[in-house]
Amino acid sequence: MNKLKSIILLFVLFCFLNGSAKDYNASIFGIKSNGTTLNTTAIQKAIDYIHEEGGGHLNFYVGRYLTGTIELKSDVQIILHEGAILVGSTNIYDYNIEMPNTALVYAKNADNISITGLGVIDGQGRDVAYSLIDQVHKGIIQDELKYDRPARRRPKGIYLRECKNVEISGITIKNTAEWVQMYDQCENLKIDKITVDSKAFWNNDGLDIVDCKNVLVTNSFIDSSDDAICFKSHDATKMCENVEVRNCVARSSASGIKFGTVTRGGYKNFKIINNKVYDTYRSAITIATPDGGEIENILVDSLNAYNTGNAVYLRIGQRNTQNGTGSMNNITIQNLYAEIPATKPDEGYEYEGPIEDLPRNISPASIVGLPGYDISNVTLRNIEIVYPGGSNPKYAYCGTKPADLDGIPEMAEKYPEFSQFKELPAWGFYVRHVKNLTFENVKLTAKDSEYRPAIVFDDVKGANLSGMQYSIPGKLKKLIKYKSTGIILK
Amino acid sequence: MTKYKLFIFSLFFILTLNLSAKDYKASLFGVKSDGVTLNTGSIQYAIDYISENGGGRLIFYVGRYLTGSFYLKPNVTIQLEEGAVLVGFHSVYDYFKLNDTNALILADKAENIGITGKGVIEGNGKAVLKSIKEQIQKGYLEENETQAKPALIYFDGCKNVTLNGVIMRNACSDVQVYTGCSNLKINKITVKSSVLPESKGLVLSDCDGFSLSDSFFEASGEELSSAGNSKNVSVTNTINSKGNKLNATK
Amino acid sequence: MAFYKTEKTRKMSNTKLLIAAILMLFVFQVSAKDYNISDFGAKADGITVNTRTIQRAIDYISEHEGGRLVFAPGNYVTGSIYVKSDVTLHLEYGATILGSTNPFDYVKDPKVKWMSMIFAINQENIGITGKGTINGRGFITANNMVNYIHRGIYKDDLKYDRPRETNRPENIYFRECTNVIITDITLRDPASWNQTYDQCKNLYVDGIYVDSKSYWNNDGIDIVDCDGVVLKNSYFDAADDVLCFKSHDANSICQNVVVENCVGRSSANGLKFGTVSRGGFRNFKIKNITIFDTFRSAITFAAVDGGLIENIEVDSVRSINTGNVIFLRIGDRWSKGKKPSMKNITISNVYAEVPIGKPDIGYNYEGPIEDNPRNISPASIVGLPGYRIENVKLKNIEIVYPGAGNPLYAYRGTSTEELDSIPEMRDRYPEFSQWKELPAWGFYVRHADGVEFENVKLVADKKDYRPSIVIDDVKGTTFKDVIFDEPESEGKEQIIHSRSSDVTIK
Repeated sequence: MNKLKSIILLFVLFCFLNGSAKDYNASIFGIKSNGTTLNTTAIQKAIDYIHEEGGGHLNFYVGRYLTGTIELKSDVQIILHEGAILVGSTNIYDYNIEMPNTALVYAKNADNISITGLGVIDGQGRDVAYSLIDQVHKGIIQDELKYDRPARRRPKGIYLRECKNVEISGITIKNTAEWVQMYDQCENLKIDKITVDSKAFWNNDGLDIVDCKNVLVTNSFIDSSDDAICFKSHDATKMCENVEVRNCVARSSASGIKFGTVTRGGYKNFKIINNKVYDTYRSAITIATPDGGEIENILVDSLNAYNTGNAVYLRIGQRNTQNGTGSMNNITIQNLYAEIPATKPDEGYEYEGPIEDLPRNISPASIVGLPGYDISNVTLRNIEIVYPGGSNPKYAYCGTKPADLDGIPEMAEKYPEFSQFKELPAWGFYVRHVKNLTFENVKLTAKDSEYRPAIVFDDVKGANLSGMQYSIPGKLKKLIKYKSTGIILK
Repeated sequence: MTKYKLFIFSLFFILTLNLSAKDYKASLFGVKSDGVTLNTGSIQYAIDYISENGGGRLIFYVGRYLTGSFYLKPNVTIQLEEGAVLVGFHSVYDYFKLNDTNALILADKAENIGITGKGVIEGNGKAVLKSIKEQIQKGYLEENETQAKPALIYFDGCKNVTLNGVIMRNACSDVQVYTGCSNLKINKITVKSSVLPESKGLVLSDCDGFSLSDSFFEASGEELSSAGNSKNVSVTNTINSKGNKLNATK
Repeated sequence: MAFYKTEKTRKMSNTKLLIAAILMLFVFQVSAKDYNISDFGAKADGITVNTRTIQRAIDYISEHEGGRLVFAPGNYVTGSIYVKSDVTLHLEYGATILGSTNPFDYVKDPKVKWMSMIFAINQENIGITGKGTINGRGFITANNMVNYIHRGIYKDDLKYDRPRETNRPENIYFRECTNVIITDITLRDPASWNQTYDQCKNLYVDGIYVDSKSYWNNDGIDIVDCDGVVLKNSYFDAADDVLCFKSHDANSICQNVVVENCVGRSSANGLKFGTVSRGGFRNFKIKNITIFDTFRSAITFAAVDGGLIENIEVDSVRSINTGNVIFLRIGDRWSKGKKPSMKNITISNVYAEVPIGKPDIGYNYEGPIEDNPRNISPASIVGLPGYRIENVKLKNIEIVYPGAGNPLYAYRGTSTEELDSIPEMRDRYPEFSQWKELPAWGFYVRHADGVEFENVKLVADKKDYRPSIVIDDVKGTTFKDVIFDEPESEGKEQIIHSRSSDVTIK
């Protein structure tokens, strides 16, 4: 809390400083607002100039500003006023594709930078991606086109690395060729009131916060074809810590809020409070550590999920073990309400989530560790999940006999996804390899009958269940315990 | 002389190599996976091109590929990778007819053709039917609903046909229709077509050499329907949504 | 009275009759039934490719006694469609037919061997009307085609680093159609030529607006081997030839054509006959045209492929800021033994200004800068030995040239040897600048019989080292009221003739 307060204080200070900064209009530097003049060099000159003059505001007023990659420098505040659109060039060679993370707006090691205002960054990402694909097909750029898309060189919207005191607020960011915005090893990052509309191409994550410290994300709306609000840890020696996400709304054709997939260092001290997720293909919240990272002290409070393929998915995996196996400890999820549909939740959105080769009925929320690597101290309090029910054992079947339960593969090395096991033996919760679990006031509803029980515990060591409620037409099987100890039902 | 012969030989070799089957990614032909671009023109061009250049596979990776009717041509296989969805366009006018049968994927006396992979063929049946009804009601479509409804697949007089792994969904009419084909092998497919009534899973007539195995059928009409005289038919390990085994005599 | 009509007035009434007849057809078509394209399920969202829906609508209307297919305001994307008999596409103000940007959405028609968005082959009573727009989006489509060619999946040799004209879609290609009406529409941005009417009968074009400079070879309008054409009240801006008449077929002829009240801008020629001129051109009446900012000639008549050009009347031309004014040329390019000819050409009431600089500078797809050290070229009438241009009448003409021909920059004298050093260039592509330096600044005439200048005023703004007019191997030339206005030219001999007989100066 103290840390958060100090961040806020710092920001207030910046605002004050900014107030006295010098203002520059874009046109001074010959930047053109006609939408056809390529402004890359002029904008870069403007940033360099303001940076060298000790900082200030670079003001873009209404108009379309076509540009390739620009690099932000310390003490330069970009202001996109209402109606101003920073438009990405559709020529791939206008971007810094020689860098491992190419982006429209790039910065490294900059201090005190911001992009604010009510304007827009429009990556024109679909056309940029097609431009890149075209160069690959012509043999000019090498890429194996895995999944028929370029693995590298697709520009992000914003990529900031090792920057300090960063503010992104007010703006709309849309249509990037890859992740919308990535903040990598940044410190003191504030994101407020942004709108992300990113369904232009594959891997359009909404927001990626990677190994950052002191992050505050508030009041934002994110609609993306890949994970919406996403925390990653690329560096085994770093961590994502002291992060708060509050009052955000997310829509995704992958997961709404996601820890991972790349999780080398880990996550500590997160507060995810009062957020909404809707029309989301995978889980409302996924917390995964498949690459050796440790996850500690995560609070998810007041999360509402509507029309979402899955509610909660917690997972330890062993995709990469050179840093050992990850851990997950002290996870609290409270005041969660989720509605799971029978149909595809993101149908009709561009770049819909991929239909998997799965004969499976609707999957339960799942908390799945690995043998010898339990997920520990998980509390679920005041939870309500409404499922469609109606599973058909002829279509896909997984029973609760020992052979059935042991037949569920561990899938330690696989990409962690709630649906990875295909058919699971429960409709409400599937819990495996977990220590010290608390279920308090958990209500599970199935709208149609189910051949499966509501909950399956497999290898659970110590669980307290109180205030459990079930609602289902027809026969109810509540809880199947298997290889579990210390299960207390109140 | 020997050098000359060697040259001819190597030329011949290169030629043969070039004529052998190849894999082509759909994006090479400008096919878009965005779910909004109507890809018919590009897909048909790709199939024609592959067929004319020694055959091969046209590979679709994860994504939604909107299309109207197209023809499979000799020695071409459509490979739908997991997550790839071939989506039928909603307008009835984007479907072609072969011998009075409308279908999304047509083949006319083609040899060595196939549809493989774990992807999906999505008929978009409801939307197509809506378009049909609307056009009939306005009087612009001068046939009845049954005549106008497209199947997902209609192959006529084809030889050496392979279907493997694909998921076929929501046909407006029947899912698969095969007439006069020989050596037709269907394996591990999933048919789910019960949104509209009377959607048959597979209609077979006058075929010689048909095998269906390890498949799942959920259809609002008959799962397997045989009309005409087909010979050498075998159905193994294939069930419907009630878990009943399907067999060849049905 | 009717019994005493002169040859000329009889011709006039023929034209009027033609207009009247075609207009009548127009009235007939208007009375047919209207169908809305949206009723067939077409989407005006600018995204959905409506090709098959539009085609189905056309087929339906054609099979049901015809009518108009009406496009309400909106953007209708399509690939190739075929217009069928008794169908008029009517584009309301605000309606745009957008060409798909995917080259594979277009058909290369097996008969005409060309790509187009709107085809009609062998149909009758068809049209495209209304104040809407047809926008080929050709720049994008052409570039997409270039990409496919580079990927090796489409065959084209990329001559000049662009796909052949035939491998890029036009907006309109009508072939062997009868009773065709094109009125009011805007045609823009094709990937190739804009609109071709090939071997059509009774073509009526009125009030169209053409903006055609989105890619190479963007002609304004191409009328090929048509019989019975009215083209009037239209505006054209094109990167290539703008009002272009062609003859592709040695057994056909482009004839009985009226052009009235048209304005054209081009980075090639204004009014052009040719270049492909196999059959020929006959009975043209062209009245009241304005050509401006045009790279080459305001008027080019080329008979270079064995065809004939005869009975052509051009009346009232305003040519402002064009590289050249009049270029009449017989050549022997693809004649294949046929004898090209040109006779009975009347050009009257012309006012023209030729600039010193490039006339089309700043336009998209500017005309190519040639490797020519040449001073400003004169208007030229150039036949070949044995293929002579006959009976040309030039009346009431004023051309203002910049003059300033500098012999140190480029020089061609008027001695017999020097005149003979001008190559015949029989088989070359005909262009007014093809000879580089010519020995006159006003008019250059060679291998012609019967050339009449009446009331012709030639102005040079600055002193030129060359005489105004050179005639070489011309039989029978009359100069009546020919005036020259050049600074410091007192005593200068402005008319030089060589090997010419019957030269009369009145």
